[in-house]
Amino acid sequence: MSYKKIERMTGFMRFNHWVVAISMVIAIVTGLYIGHPYYQSFIADPAVDKYVMAWNRLLHFIVAIIFDVSSIVVAYLYFFSRFEKAYKKLIPTWTNIKEFVDVLVNLITLNRVKKFDSSHADSFNAVFFFVFHMMLIWMLLTGLQLYVHGLASGLSSIGSWWPAVLHLTTDWTVVVTGGTFMDVRLSHHYTMYAIIVWIMFHVYYQVWRTIFWKEGDVNIVIGGDKFIKEK
Amino acid sequence: MIEKREALAKMFSAKGSKVNTNRGTEYYDSLMKTMTLRLNELEQTTAASKTSISSVLESEGLDRRDFMKWASAACAALMLPANFTPLIAQAAELMNRVPIIWIELQDCAGNSEAILRSDAPTIDELILETISLEFNETLMAASGHAAEEHLEEAMHTFKGKYLCVVEGSIPLAMDGLYGTIGAKAETFKDHLLRVAKDSAAVVAVGTCATFGGVPAASPNPTGAVGVQDIVRGKPIINIPACPANPANITGTILHFVLTGQIPELDHLNRPKFAFGYRIHDNCERRAHFDAGEFVEEWGDEGAKNNFCLYKMGCKGPMTFNNCSIVRYNSGTNWPIGVGHGCIGCSEPQFWDKYAQERPMADTHFKAPSGGVEKTVDEFGLGLLTAAGIGIGIHATASILAGKKEGDE
Repeated sequence: MSYKKIERMTGFMRFNHWVVAISMVIAIVTGLYIGHPYYQSFIADPAVDKYVMAWNRLLHFIVAIIFDVSSIVVAYLYFFSRFEKAYKKLIPTWTNIKEFVDVLVNLITLNRVKKFDSSHADSFNAVFFFVFHMMLIWMLLTGLQLYVHGLASGLSSIGSWWPAVLHLTTDWTVVVTGGTFMDVRLSHHYTMYAIIVWIMFHVYYQVWRTIFWKEGDVNIVIGGDKFIKEK
Repeated sequence: MIEKREALAKMFSAKGSKVNTNRGTEYYDSLMKTMTLRLNELEQTTAASKTSISSVLESEGLDRRDFMKWASAACAALMLPANFTPLIAQAAELMNRVPIIWIELQDCAGNSEAILRSDAPTIDELILETISLEFNETLMAASGHAAEEHLEEAMHTFKGKYLCVVEGSIPLAMDGLYGTIGAKAETFKDHLLRVAKDSAAVVAVGTCATFGGVPAASPNPTGAVGVQDIVRGKPIINIPACPANPANITGTILHFVLTGQIPELDHLNRPKFAFGYRIHDNCERRAHFDAGEFVEEWGDEGAKNNFCLYKMGCKGPMTFNNCSIVRYNSGTNWPIGVGHGCIGCSEPQFWDKYAQERPMADTHFKAPSGGVEKTVDEFGLGLLTAAGIGIGIHATASILAGKKEGDE
């Protein structure tokens, strides 16, 4: 039995993946600080140039922007990727539903049953990532809503159009989450935990696939390739 | 159905809190004309109340200069150019032309108290003394049938002209029997609807009247709601906060006297001149927030140094009100100034969602999983633990069972 090497992610896709991964870690670390400052500034040194909360918020916003831009790239790839266009795997056709179930069966039968082609991104993965992207968009919208509260004057360093756009596009999140600004915060915080759970499963599943499928799946996001058995 | 449709309409038309403080000469010129016309008209009408601002000021030992100082401050508070100051002064003198019916529903009368019980009243508070208060359950001497007759008479005389000021929430549970008033045991709901029907506008004063406030806090046994939840077809102005700041009540009434219209409102029907800015952005402790210097417990070194109260649960970052500028008790101080965090009393559902002495992440809220109250972080860690256990089980099972497959 021999193995064939197949390319799964381009250099740019892998770069994008790691930018997102690192941004996410930073967003979680700084976001937890903003929600509950869990370490102290040097209280004994009143004259020190400390700007701890401000730096945390700055980092949080910067990685949010990087996140948003990379999300736009990913949204583009959904439709125009030169590999499998992800949207094709999301349409609930019978083929896709069958593939989704087959991959799920493979996972819960602990790899005893494997009835699908693992050489390309499957429907299960596509749905799994779609959930992630939806959560990211939700974080983007709720986050920008929380951010625009600080621009109450209607002005910003880049002009008054920016808060206006933010109000237009994110004010509905207040109504949807329960009617108060606090509900938006709560939702933003809860969704972070959902995203951490998603990351846990994502990392576990990739390692699990690598070990049990024996096709070198982990290398997809590092070297860009994986291997499939040639029959 | 109608409520659903309204909620949907609101969702897509929610106005931001943006305050436009410079609308150009043309706008202000026409506004000046409208106001002058309106005030001249008002001047022709007979005063509904005998008290005048000059007599009240005199009895308090304040002179014309104090009054004009107040007028220019009020002018700035209403976000009008300085040349409107004489108009503001004139409007204050004509305050006794606008009849007001003030009704008291399910609350603690704290808003009345805030206005009445100051030993050194500000001019804001004195002006409220000169308004033509036709009916006020808390203050008036009449009671029983006499009081009801008085109300009927005031509503009849000033039909369509009076401002209906409401203090307190409206209990709806048990057909509204949690609160009745008068000899005929009229429910608060019927009472409010009857008085609001013939008014020019309804002013909900205090958080109970605006959003239900403390009576509406979970589990809300009396089914309390705010004025805007039941009054339809009338302009409603919300002046929340617990208690509402007398300066904001005066400002709103002053605006009505000046223009005959209600002031510009935000998405919660609050006047933008008062609720257009965030407490956090005008807070004197803001620098400590940015520096990450927080009070960790009451009376610690940070508290002595006036550090930020965010970790003690201050909700300034999510509360819109002008108390950080106007302050309370004749401008003496305000909650954050005396070392307690903001409890977000001018926001909807403040008692359930804002008024805790801890940051949002540590607060006991109703968990999405059910009725048991949990902090957001506890819930999140529970979720992570569950996910971790699930992954652990799957991994162990895979190691034990998966090997057989691999060998075949």
